[in-house]
Amino acid sequence: MSRRGSRVSTGEEEVELNMTPMLDVVFILLIFFIVTSVFIKEPGVPIDRPDAITEEDRNPSMLIGVSAENEIWVNRRIYEMPQLRGVIEQLLQENPKGRAMIQGDADAEVGIILDIQDLLIEMEVEVIISTLQP
Amino acid sequence: MRRRVKHNDDQAEVNMTPMLDIVFILLIFFIVTATFLSEEGIDMRPPPPSDEPPSEDSNEVILVQIDNENNIFVNQIRTDVDRVLPAVNRFRAEAANSAVLVEVQDEARHGIVVQIWDEMNANGVPVSLQRSDGNES
Repeated sequence: MSRRGSRVSTGEEEVELNMTPMLDVVFILLIFFIVTSVFIKEPGVPIDRPDAITEEDRNPSMLIGVSAENEIWVNRRIYEMPQLRGVIEQLLQENPKGRAMIQGDADAEVGIILDIQDLLIEMEVEVIISTLQP
Repeated sequence: MRRRVKHNDDQAEVNMTPMLDIVFILLIFFIVTATFLSEEGIDMRPPPPSDEPPSEDSNEVILVQIDNENNIFVNQIRTDVDRVLPAVNRFRAEAANSAVLVEVQDEARHGIVVQIWDEMNANGVPVSLQRSDGNES
């Protein structure tokens, strides 16, 4: 408790933190998030998905939208059925083990959705039909 | 020259704070953009074709047809969307363990097909989907 000058000056010494271990941890976190992040390309069209109660959680990396007007949307663009194979091949190159999800509007024709499903099965891509919790 | 060599022995301390700032900002960016997207969906894929012929005692099939005008027929009897499950259950009461085959025409509404599929699955009725050739009606 003495108030001598020398003691006070020691209290003003700056405590240096060793930041290296924290930096290591932060870098590892950074690399983890860079590696695991998959940039999903949204179809880019509002889709009113049908309700289902038996749905299961999936982690798709490829989204294919079918609007109520029966247009096929991938990554904010409309494609025709014959073009779709090339588009999916392109997406598969980015993410070879990707799962696909077909987001079909409740008012879309089921034939188009089944066409896309058949194409994906033929290309050996796992595919599920997107639904909503009612 | 000797003196200069001695100067090199001094450890140059790199100020890591700005780099740490950048790394943190990158980290936060990737955490925020990493959407651990878990969309929900149902698996409507047909079962893989098997080489084995269907066994003799294979169960009866209840045929649910949906045509281009979204009319629904359960074993040829016209039914409303909401009454498909009671109708199927009536047939199943006679022949337990019978499966449902949903036959759709291409212009049927996707929503109806998913709804029927989901109702059957929720009640433990085995169901499979088939496209109709479109020659009928």
